[in-house]
Amino acid sequence: MLDPSFIVAQLPAVLGAAAVTAWIWAASAILGVAGGVGIALARRFGPRPVDLALKFSIEMVRGSPFLVQLFLLYYGGPYVGLSLDPVPAGLLALTVYGAAYYSEIIRGGFAAVPPGHVEAAACLGFTHAQTLLRVEIPEVAAVVLPALVNMTILLLKETAVLSVITVPELTMAISAIGSESYRFVEALFLLALFYWGLVEGCGVLGRFAEARLARFGVAAP
Amino acid sequence: MNPALFRLLVEATGYTVALSAVSIVAGLAVGLAVATAMLSRRRALSMPARAFVSFFRGVPLLVQLLLIYNLLPSVGIDLPGIVAAAIGLTLCTAAYQAETLRGGFAGVPRGLVEAADMVGLTPVQLFWRIRVPIAVKLTLPSLVSEAIMILKASSLVSVVGVVELTRMAQDLAASTYRPLPIYATAGALYIAVDWGIAGLGHALERRSRWGRA
Amino acid sequence: MTTAAATVGAALSVRGLVKRFGDHEVLSGIDLDVPAGAVTCLVGPSGSGKSTLLRCMAFLEEASAGTVLVGGEPLGFVDTPEGRRRLPAARIRAVRSGIGMVFQQFNLWPHMTALGNVAAALRVVRRLERAEAEARAMAQLRTVGLEGRAGHYPSQLSGGQQQRVAIARALALEPRLMLFDEPTSSLDPELTGEVLNVMRRLAADGMTMVVVSHEIGFAASVGQQVAFLDGGRILLRGTPQEVFRKPRHPRLDQFLDTYLDRGAAMLV
Repeated sequence: MLDPSFIVAQLPAVLGAAAVTAWIWAASAILGVAGGVGIALARRFGPRPVDLALKFSIEMVRGSPFLVQLFLLYYGGPYVGLSLDPVPAGLLALTVYGAAYYSEIIRGGFAAVPPGHVEAAACLGFTHAQTLLRVEIPEVAAVVLPALVNMTILLLKETAVLSVITVPELTMAISAIGSESYRFVEALFLLALFYWGLVEGCGVLGRFAEARLARFGVAAP
Repeated sequence: MNPALFRLLVEATGYTVALSAVSIVAGLAVGLAVATAMLSRRRALSMPARAFVSFFRGVPLLVQLLLIYNLLPSVGIDLPGIVAAAIGLTLCTAAYQAETLRGGFAGVPRGLVEAADMVGLTPVQLFWRIRVPIAVKLTLPSLVSEAIMILKASSLVSVVGVVELTRMAQDLAASTYRPLPIYATAGALYIAVDWGIAGLGHALERRSRWGRA
Repeated sequence: MTTAAATVGAALSVRGLVKRFGDHEVLSGIDLDVPAGAVTCLVGPSGSGKSTLLRCMAFLEEASAGTVLVGGEPLGFVDTPEGRRRLPAARIRAVRSGIGMVFQQFNLWPHMTALGNVAAALRVVRRLERAEAEARAMAQLRTVGLEGRAGHYPSQLSGGQQQRVAIARALALEPRLMLFDEPTSSLDPELTGEVLNVMRRLAADGMTMVVVSHEIGFAASVGQQVAFLDGGRILLRGTPQEVFRKPRHPRLDQFLDTYLDRGAAMLV
């Protein structure tokens, strides 16, 4: 196993890399959800060509591997004037990837709102905007929360793929340390334990939030 | 695109499909064993099974692949990269399939099991003839989406040097300096296989005429 | 098709109403006046168009032709010399907020408490202060006997209680007209009584009501006007005594036989 002094010596580098993983994860999740909401609303209220174009793009993103999308953006981007450094390229790819999945989850949530709940608001004289804000969005939020949490956990796991284009996140840093010290297996094992703990922790938080929402009597789809 | 390049990509798609197919089938077998262990009343069986599922679902597949790829030689097992990759993909999908199958077993109506018990099936017969077919049937749609997941995830084995579709695209992109059309074509080939899998799933669902009990 | 002027004093008038879903004509020229301060019951077999008619009265369905007037104001569309014109959304909302609608499936918003459901329109549409809105909402909950459940979420209430909250919600904006779409059809038999009692009390207080219901007993005892629909037309209309009097119209007899057990039919 790794000796403690070695771990202590590597700690600053590991913590720095963990911070990169954390902020890219948080940023891509927040931007991804925002994008997903935007896409879901644009598909619902926008003109039909917009809906079809978005539907097609989402199919492309959901149907192909994230790694291929990442390569397409990072290596192919410069040929169409989009030269990005590894970190912004990784963040952009992850955000687009997340937004495609999030938007489908949110669309499913809107479909799960019974039409009667909207009609009840219309009968009381709510405007479309008021109905969306006061009735639909809160209901959708409660329904989609478990799926959003799952997707966000998936996004954390995808951040490891960014190491392939040399984003200095955890997997990249640990691989570097491992190969320098010839302790690759130990280092990777610690890395795996770290991700495992983080994912399980998120799962616990998600289930806690789900239990709190259960009083609304909104069943997960 | 140059037809020669395209042919290379299509050939590499064959490796991707083969690797995914082996992993998904082996993963179903391992997943069935793990799901059974998870449902066992003996904690010595259910606890390790749960830990297995939680670990392989919680750790990024790339890290799992790197770990297996480096772990096996370090304990003296020397396997070709593609075998290590298949083992990694199998263990990962086994964990996901075990979780799904556990739900499938829970969905087998209790009355059907009781009825089989009453006509005198042994526990083993009951498991293979009643529980497994119904559970697999109930989880068929999830199995199809899991197959598509693994197909896409198999792109990660390129990182440990296995030449499949993504690695071929990488090599071609590097040697031709035309990454845009090559990666776009690779993506399109993955999507084409997705559609094939989805179509196969629909056909399977139609073929098994008996519906949900 | 008649296009007679709306009767003076009618809370709601329907003239020449036609509703088609694709090729299928669900309503074929309905004329109906709903007198103010009285209860009008719409009865008829499934598919006769009675729920569609009610939903057209609330503009939840857009009529294919014809007009709906609420207190003399057109709802949804107005016939002009140049043809049929859709009214602006704000006009539709204004007329609609004078109508209270009660649904078969209650349609309470699951993320709001009982009080929140009733107060929502006061806050959002009337823009009242929170305290004022909640005080008025509490008063409405009291009229349906549920002030003790104000803090409960819909999932924590029985079906009958949910429907009473839904009635309180519909009453919150003090509508001049209440529409009920099979309000007891998704309730267990032992829970229908509490909802019908609330409706009886409303009727006794002089609320103008239109009720689609399979509760023939309620129609016969509380209704001042009964309309029997069959095949998208009003076949019979009058007081309960006139409509249910023997010898009955053969279609009505058949309906009572098919859709009700004999015992209930004997009651009317």
